[in-house]
Amino acid sequence: MTRLNSFRELEHLREQLREQRKNITSTVMICGGTSCQASRSRAVIDAVRKELSKQGLGMSVRLCVTGCHGFCEQGPVMIIEPSKMFYCHVSPDDAFEIVSQTLVKGEVIERLLYTDPATGERVQTYPEIPFYRAQDRQILSQNLMIDPCSIEDYITAGGYSALTKVLRGIAPVDIIKEIKSSGLRGRGGGGFPTGRKWDECAEAPGDEKYVICNADEGDPGAYMDRCVLEGNPHLVLEGMMIGAWAVGAQKGYVYVRNEYPLAVKHSRIAVKQARELGLFGNNILGSSFSFDVDIARGGGAFVCGESTALMASVEGKVGEPRPKDVHAVVDGLYHKPTVLNNVETWANVPAIILNGASWFASKGTPDSKGTKILALTGRIKNTGLVEVAMGTPIRTVVFDIGGGAVNGKQVKAVQIGGPSGGCLPVDKFDLAVDYDVLAEAGSMVGSGGMVVMDEESCMVDVAKYFLAFLQDESCGKCVPCRIGIDRMLEIITDITEGRGRPEQIDVLEELADTVSQTALCGLGKTAPNPVLTTLRYFRPEYKAHIYQKKCQAGVCKALITYSIDPDKCNGCGVCLRGCAHKAITGGKKQVHTIDTRLCQKCGICRSECKFDAIQVV
Amino acid sequence: MPPQTLEQILEGRRSQPHQLIEVLQDVQEDYGYISEKDMQAVSQGVGVPIMEVYRVASFYKAFRLRPAGKIVLTMCMGTACHVRSSRLLLDQAIGQLGIKPGEVTLDGLFSIERVNCLGACAMGPIVEENGSYHHHMTPGKLRKLIEAIRRRETEDNQNDQTQ
Amino acid sequence: MLQYVNVNIDGATIHAIKGTSVLDTAVEYGICIPHLCHVPNLSDIGACRLCIVEHVVNGRSNITTSCTLNVNEGMTIMTNTDRIRKLRRNLAELLVAQAPNSRAIQDIAVRCGVKEVRYPFRNEKCILCGRCVRVCTEVWRARAKGFVGRGKDRHVDYPFGIRPQFCKQCENCIQICPMTITPCDGPMKPGEERLCGKCESQLLTNEQAPGGCVWCKLGEGFGCGRYAGS
Repeated sequence: MTRLNSFRELEHLREQLREQRKNITSTVMICGGTSCQASRSRAVIDAVRKELSKQGLGMSVRLCVTGCHGFCEQGPVMIIEPSKMFYCHVSPDDAFEIVSQTLVKGEVIERLLYTDPATGERVQTYPEIPFYRAQDRQILSQNLMIDPCSIEDYITAGGYSALTKVLRGIAPVDIIKEIKSSGLRGRGGGGFPTGRKWDECAEAPGDEKYVICNADEGDPGAYMDRCVLEGNPHLVLEGMMIGAWAVGAQKGYVYVRNEYPLAVKHSRIAVKQARELGLFGNNILGSSFSFDVDIARGGGAFVCGESTALMASVEGKVGEPRPKDVHAVVDGLYHKPTVLNNVETWANVPAIILNGASWFASKGTPDSKGTKILALTGRIKNTGLVEVAMGTPIRTVVFDIGGGAVNGKQVKAVQIGGPSGGCLPVDKFDLAVDYDVLAEAGSMVGSGGMVVMDEESCMVDVAKYFLAFLQDESCGKCVPCRIGIDRMLEIITDITEGRGRPEQIDVLEELADTVSQTALCGLGKTAPNPVLTTLRYFRPEYKAHIYQKKCQAGVCKALITYSIDPDKCNGCGVCLRGCAHKAITGGKKQVHTIDTRLCQKCGICRSECKFDAIQVV
Repeated sequence: MPPQTLEQILEGRRSQPHQLIEVLQDVQEDYGYISEKDMQAVSQGVGVPIMEVYRVASFYKAFRLRPAGKIVLTMCMGTACHVRSSRLLLDQAIGQLGIKPGEVTLDGLFSIERVNCLGACAMGPIVEENGSYHHHMTPGKLRKLIEAIRRRETEDNQNDQTQ
Repeated sequence: MLQYVNVNIDGATIHAIKGTSVLDTAVEYGICIPHLCHVPNLSDIGACRLCIVEHVVNGRSNITTSCTLNVNEGMTIMTNTDRIRKLRRNLAELLVAQAPNSRAIQDIAVRCGVKEVRYPFRNEKCILCGRCVRVCTEVWRARAKGFVGRGKDRHVDYPFGIRPQFCKQCENCIQICPMTITPCDGPMKPGEERLCGKCESQLLTNEQAPGGCVWCKLGEGFGCGRYAGS
């Protein structure tokens, strides 16, 4: 690829690329994201590629390996344009039929279509699928058309035209004004007004400034940033460049967590390609703007999602947060003014520049503008990545998009905002996805992870889970976080193991309050949130664990017993053979029984039994 | 890609303290763990005191300071996997292999690691085996998987020996 | 040339040296703010959180550690409000429950008003204040000791757990360590851990209430910065 030296040359390249694709009649988009790769999409991609070549369709059909399409549970996922046909659970053996029937003859392969569980009917195109229909996929829809390893795809789709518009003649102060009036707020969890952050950095004294993309995404259950970075890295990079121009930075870092090898790989490829084209470097496209980006890998530390810890990590040090009496926008990376924003925040910037602040602000609520990507997971039918306008009620997300609970169970709660967020019960599902609304309810939008729980989730266990997670990830420097979380966990463990005492709830609440006020960084300060929200909304469960020593949901091992329902057991013996502790006895075709003294509640029998005969009381 | 030598890893990064983590990442990737000897060499090469190198290597979970097993079973402990009972999977692995996370079985074959979310939440619970993701796992499936890996490795071993 | 700023601490206007921390200023002026990880002439890391104060900004109170907060013109600080006293007491309770086997920690507990310990006692040998690490790194520049590991596993150690050649055995780390000061009644063996509280009965009334510095015995115990300066 030859270096582009002017805006005109970029536009010319775009025209050329579009011209080259004029003869394409169909595009087959197969998801190559991490989740679909887990269900072997790579094999599907290879099979389709071979088949296309065999049938001589290489010139008229474009095979595009894309980033995540969002409907992960249905993977491997394939979309065909222009018909918008949606095929799911595609296997390599389907390649021949797909090519010969759908691509050549335009025929639909019924068995590969999505079946709407509500109506039992098959749906042909993806905009008709309820999961997609209820969403507003501003950012995620771009994943469909782009091969993340191809800068040409990005340019063909219009990429880097926002940057061109900016460099051609929008002053930094005007960009900041635009971002401010758009109402964009940080998508990483803090929800801090982005325009204000950029303004403070631009005002800070100094010539050496930095922009950083926080792709550490440590919230368990959240993978929005992974998909945006894996699927459309140039969108994020373009956003960063616009930000850098606005605040006066010449260098940027994308800090990607270690557990996302594909995101690291795709970001590196994107940077390399952008450098080759001259989109990074000196005098970009002939302008006075010089900028470059490096990819920095995380070392496996959730705490490095905290801004000062992240910057310490980029500097090659341990990720221990520093007191934030002076903000990063003045004293950040290497003590220079730094703007640190989340992947999704950066990803929103190019569209705001192209379409205007009022376009962005026309969606959402007065205080929370635009759309938000959510990772909808847990015990519901449709799990995956979802993008909705701010202000959408939780109910819509969980039931209309998520499809409600699996296996006929009842949805009980939704955990929003990761370990810093909180659990909200079903009767709060009319609350909107909105920064201030959720904060008031004790939860938070956070990064956008939404984990749905049903009647088989124990809320005390959930609180314990988050405390254990945070204890594991705490840097350990300050007393309230290191010792405080440990003691909270000690109390909750007592409760889940049948040693709970009534006065412990008061101690727990007071300790939670102390930790939230005195901890050094955000991790510690928000650590008590899962405990506080579960106490607020699910106190009866705590009481049952303490007073009756019962775990209604059947999770806390010390408080449950496994038994076999004699009405359902047909004596097939699968559980007996599966039991590693020889706790099950029973003759052939006779009702089996579990010896509770030997039973370790490991769950194997339950997962193997095809008749749902293993009960947990 | 064949593993690089320490010289190659340090190239272009000498006397640049801020490259410490990147260097350690490469050492971890290429050698599977970071030995004391390697840490001393990195300390010299990058120009960071040995106490600091050791501190950084022990802080980040990505770095192993002891060799891992041939097969590393990484159990995802993220929230979405947790509500799909990933705890039972961890207990199964610990029980079946007789080791705790971070340890290696006596025959050097298996080690267990815990990770706080691999980001494939819709497919959970996930067990990763040396880069391959096994999805929608249950304790029963995990037991069969471990047995299958063990069989496969012993057969390979026998084949190697008979050749 | 020293520059000065005026700050308001607990209602009193104080002429503070620019570039110093609120804690140093307070100690200098005889205002009692308990602290553990702060040692004069070593860097401040804000780890123990005992020195927290209320920093009033735009009508809102931010709780922050006074050792890491530098004085600024017109700053308003409150060191002894009910809220601060309660938080400090809870923090001191956590500390003494963790490591009761030290006179310094027991004295801090008294100073911060701990009357009962609601957690099972443990008997940790190290409270992770980091004094030893900082004195080794900053004063002696040997870097023979450091923090290793993370979270619950965080501990102080030599590289690879072995005392290196370049440790000159100056023993400053031992001298500065609060855990080497034995409890007044002798070391507490496992099972004997308790909140000592003996001092409380022996302290004079004015030695008990924090506020102004009264050169109390407690300060001697935990190595209060006021003693270091004298």
